Amino acid sequence: MTVLFLLIVVAVLAGAAFVLCRQRVMASVQGDPKLLHSLPMYYGWNGTIMVLLPALGGLVLWLLIQPMVIEGRIAAALPPDMMAAGGSMDLVMSDVRRVAGGLDVAVSTGAMTAQQAATISTESANIRDTLAAVGVALGADVSPAVLSAAQDYRVMTAWGMMGRTILTVLLALGGLIYAVMITNRDFRARNRVEAAVKGLLIAASSIAVLTTVGIVYSMLTETLNFFAQYPFQGFFFSLTWSPNFRGDSELGILPLIWGTLYITLISMLVSVPIGLYAAIYLAEYASKSVRAWVKPLIEVIAGIPTVVFGLFALVTVGPMLRDYFAEPLGWGDSGSSVMTAGLVIGILNIPFISSLSDDIINSVPQSLRDGSLGLGATRSETIRQVVLPAALPGIVGACLMAASRAIGETMIVVMGAGAAAKLSLNPFEAMTTMTVKIVGQLTGDTDFAAPETLVAFALGMTLFVITLALNIVALLIVRKYREQYD
Amino acid sequence: MTDATSGGLSAAAQPKSSLLQPSRLMKKRNAAETRFKAYGIAAIVLSLATLGFMLVTIFSDGVSSFFQAKLSFPVELTARTLDPKGNRDRADMVKITTLGYNKVLAVAFEKELAARGIAIEGQSAKDVVEMISKDAAGSLRATVLANPSLVGSTLDATVLATGRIDGYLKGRVTMQTAERDSNVTPAQLQLADKLREAGMLTSSFNWGFLTMPDASDQRPEAAGLGVAILGSAYMMLLVLVTCVPVGVAASIYLEEFAPKNFWTDAIEVNISNLAAVPSIVFGILGLAIFINFAGMPNSSTLVGALVLSLMTLPTIIIATRSAIKAVPPSIRDAALGIGASKMQSVFHHVLPLAMPGILTGTILGLASALGETAPLLLIGMVAFVDNYPAAPMEGFLDPATALPVQVYGWAQRADPAFIERSSGAIIVLLVFLVAMNVLAILLRRRFERRW
Amino acid sequence: MNDMRTLERIVNSEAIKISARNVQVHYGTTQAIKDLNVDILDKTVTAFIGPSGCGKSTFLRCLNRMNDTIESCRVTGQIMMDGANIYDPRIDPVQLRARVGMVFQKPNPFPKSIYDNVAYGPKIHGLTRNKAELDEIVETSIRKAALWNEVKDRLQSPGTGLSGGQQQRLCIARAIATGPEVLLMDEPCSALDPIATAQVEELIDELRAQFSVVIVTHSMQQAARVSQRTAFFHLGSLVETGETGQIFTSPKDPRTEAYITGRIG
Ligand SMILES: Nc1ncnc2c1ncn2[C@@H]1O[C@H](COP(=O)(O)OP(=O)(O)O)[C@@H](O)[C@H]1O
Ligand SMILES: [Mg+2]
Repeated sequence: MTVLFLLIVVAVLAGAAFVLCRQRVMASVQGDPKLLHSLPMYYGWNGTIMVLLPALGGLVLWLLIQPMVIEGRIAAALPPDMMAAGGSMDLVMSDVRRVAGGLDVAVSTGAMTAQQAATISTESANIRDTLAAVGVALGADVSPAVLSAAQDYRVMTAWGMMGRTILTVLLALGGLIYAVMITNRDFRARNRVEAAVKGLLIAASSIAVLTTVGIVYSMLTETLNFFAQYPFQGFFFSLTWSPNFRGDSELGILPLIWGTLYITLISMLVSVPIGLYAAIYLAEYASKSVRAWVKPLIEVIAGIPTVVFGLFALVTVGPMLRDYFAEPLGWGDSGSSVMTAGLVIGILNIPFISSLSDDIINSVPQSLRDGSLGLGATRSETIRQVVLPAALPGIVGACLMAASRAIGETMIVVMGAGAAAKLSLNPFEAMTTMTVKIVGQLTGDTDFAAPETLVAFALGMTLFVITLALNIVALLIVRKYREQYD
Repeated sequence: MTDATSGGLSAAAQPKSSLLQPSRLMKKRNAAETRFKAYGIAAIVLSLATLGFMLVTIFSDGVSSFFQAKLSFPVELTARTLDPKGNRDRADMVKITTLGYNKVLAVAFEKELAARGIAIEGQSAKDVVEMISKDAAGSLRATVLANPSLVGSTLDATVLATGRIDGYLKGRVTMQTAERDSNVTPAQLQLADKLREAGMLTSSFNWGFLTMPDASDQRPEAAGLGVAILGSAYMMLLVLVTCVPVGVAASIYLEEFAPKNFWTDAIEVNISNLAAVPSIVFGILGLAIFINFAGMPNSSTLVGALVLSLMTLPTIIIATRSAIKAVPPSIRDAALGIGASKMQSVFHHVLPLAMPGILTGTILGLASALGETAPLLLIGMVAFVDNYPAAPMEGFLDPATALPVQVYGWAQRADPAFIERSSGAIIVLLVFLVAMNVLAILLRRRFERRW
Repeated sequence: MNDMRTLERIVNSEAIKISARNVQVHYGTTQAIKDLNVDILDKTVTAFIGPSGCGKSTFLRCLNRMNDTIESCRVTGQIMMDGANIYDPRIDPVQLRARVGMVFQKPNPFPKSIYDNVAYGPKIHGLTRNKAELDEIVETSIRKAALWNEVKDRLQSPGTGLSGGQQQRLCIARAIATGPEVLLMDEPCSALDPIATAQVEELIDELRAQFSVVIVTHSMQQAARVSQRTAFFHLGSLVETGETGQIFTSPKDPRTEAYITGRIG
């Protein structure tokens, strides 16, 4: 039985449980729901849950465990010299799965009988051609060991499928019977159902944590793989980045960090003054109607996808900077540059800084402004000497968050910064960043055993740690600041 | 007030200068005030002007991709070339490749030129035929194979002109650039002028841009957004059905049920930090977990949607929580007061009241997911895909691409015609985003409630 | 009132410092002050009393044009100070506020050191040429505000760390450091405990020697204790104004009497 069909069976049983439990409890009070602890519906739902929970749980567990068990047994049965002869365990296993899959296709299209598939051997037929005829292309001829392993695999999978079906249906039936048994007029069905719903809610809220765990786990294991092949010092302290898939790569992160920080610096030089002045104007000077128009307009910038800014950098800003600044001044002839990417990221971050700062400036109590204005300070004196110092921690927090966004920004640097890892001070030169290299090393043909690919995970981990640290510091500062005026 | 001897209180005793006479210092201070205010206005004008400049450049680059130069001329579908066996059997005709159709098109085109008396002085026949897009043969073949009985008749065909001729009509290609361009000659452009006069070469709305799949480097004129739009739509659908229930459930728990303890705190900190994790990290997660570990297919919309869901989840949770928070406690108390359980008070009263806010937040979250590019690059969606994904369920496992990824993909190509397409794709993307945002604003307006 | 000091007070007849004529104040479309006329004397404490919401604060804020900071607020009429209409378009409200200081209901020290709080005004108005002069102004102002002994050892610690009463006296010191001629106080004691209130009241009495003080208060005892003249506001108009003793002992208007005896308010 396929999983889909199995799910349908379980769903039917769950529906049956709803009806049965509801009927039973109504019968127990001769149709008078006032005598029940809960509404009749809850008894039904309880039945449904009692069917679904064990059956689906069992099914999921089975689906997770079965491949591990089968592959373990196949691997144990394979001749040990196969591993030595080349290729890893994974490669052999994927061959086995492919052949087994091919046999399945052959049987289902009628090119082979089930009998033939189980007994066919490499001497009697060319498996590769047979399978190619039904549309399954194999990379090489099938060795006898792989073929027999594939046949074993099919047998075990068939047994597994049977076991899975039986287990799931039994669990569902068991749940149904149990639910019907415990259903009576005093049974607190609503509490039971609500507990189940609450469990579901908790599970949903744990997904956020699971995501973090997934991020950390996936990057950490691959990063460790990377450091098993490439020295730690070489990664963190080398000044050269020159990956080479034929070996001899130098994978020093420093040029990438330099590019990242240089671009971030330029972006901050653009976004902080502009964002801050815009926020000050909107919060302190603008009339209500101007504010109502301008604030959303500035926030439009934040709603535009970054790839649009990337194209803007590539097609417009880069060539403009090259033609009007870099070339006349003799500073370079590249459209992609630190300046291009920095400027465009700066623009992208303006609404981020301005709306955060706007909130923060607005949360400075009016009484401080009154105090200062009442002493005969001008508005700008009040803002510079009273409001901004009071809001400073919050603004610093906002800037840190903006810096973290600039560091993690990908599309704009991919399209506007360049790909050459360089340690240079000239902002009109093309340089590259961690995110560019993550994209570069992980797109196209990749070999997940090579350090040149794995280094992307180490870069990702570094990026994750840096941005996380910045954000945590920013959050702490902002939280401290909020407490001050709450 | 610049009086040298004045010290605080003694100053008060001295006669003041008239209020009507601003002191020198006061003038300076007022100038500083004006300057400060001007900086603020300048900052706003500068950011809005940049935004405007960006949108204008992209629109002016991209609008032309919605128009396309097409050549129309009668094509005689010669049976000798297209159906050598003469039995009109599709199985046999499949063996004729586009080369055969190319020949048919070339003959027909030259014949029509001759018939109309359009001279092709100084050009080889090859140059002339190259004005027809390389895509034309393929689409003609598809037409014929769909209806084999057409063979032998004469078809009034309308085929794409090549990207350079298209560019000439749009002003991107000029006589000067043509001289330096190996893909087009000035003579071809002159011929194009004549064809235009004769009405054979026209420019019309380019539906193909919205419906056709991507095309290879040599055929920018045939490249369309069909697969990308479909891929984005699939992903948005999946994000909607995975992310919204989970996000709403998580928010309800955190806002209404969660006890104040370590676990809840951990979740809270987690969500606010996840919202700030660079999007590319989610791509790494998707690659490592969904593709390498769980073995889901590369480039598929399912993996793309899962990655986008995880990325959007914090946004939706934050929006939903603030919507739930905005429902006044008195509503909960009222429900609890008449004997509803906590769960009932939440599902019957709080949630319906918070719904508009949740919807608005969801739409905005979806909009940001729709524009996201970087993580999708890592899970292989930048690959060249020229087959439409199948209908949903198994279609979710087919390779596809997404609108913003297509923008990036085209921007990477060498031919400037693809920059036009890339900008055009942005226009399509922005139209979707604007529609979603307008919807969100309307929802907010319609249901906004002040407690 | 049972406070006999009111009757004994000698009221010097001083010159008129501020005189308001036909003042109307609107917030958007609602009128907060209707056709108000009043004279405020120099070197005198004038108390504004009246039920809450009757426009006392609004009028007080007109006197140094603090109302300019509220977008919806419109003021018409004439307020003359030393012969110039302070609503004359040529008048710079900033310069005006240096001469008409204000102390607010809630103590609002800046999140800076005590020293910087007081030095802020003299600095922005350019009253000093060097640090020594600034130090001197700061010290005199704090002494004047009767706070010196309590803070002289911690001038560099933040002003927000003081107690409520000290904060309010710091705000008074801050206001007098710019050398104003008029001091406006909007319920300066309403956030303070009785002891701090007594200290501030004593201070107000001393300030009278140099400034014209206008104080808004909710407490009639306070008005009686600190002021020489009293103005009674009701529903946005000035009902009665006169010497404090006279207002409290023999009010002319029945509404004043009703308020003083506790029937409205
Ligand atoms: N900023 C403002 N915006 C609108 N109306 C205001 C504002 N400030 C005060 N008011 C209104 O003006 C009237 C007078 O207020 P106020 O002067 O504060 O009274 P008081 O200080 O005597 O208690 C009140 O009705 C109040 O609602
Ligand atoms: Mg008041």
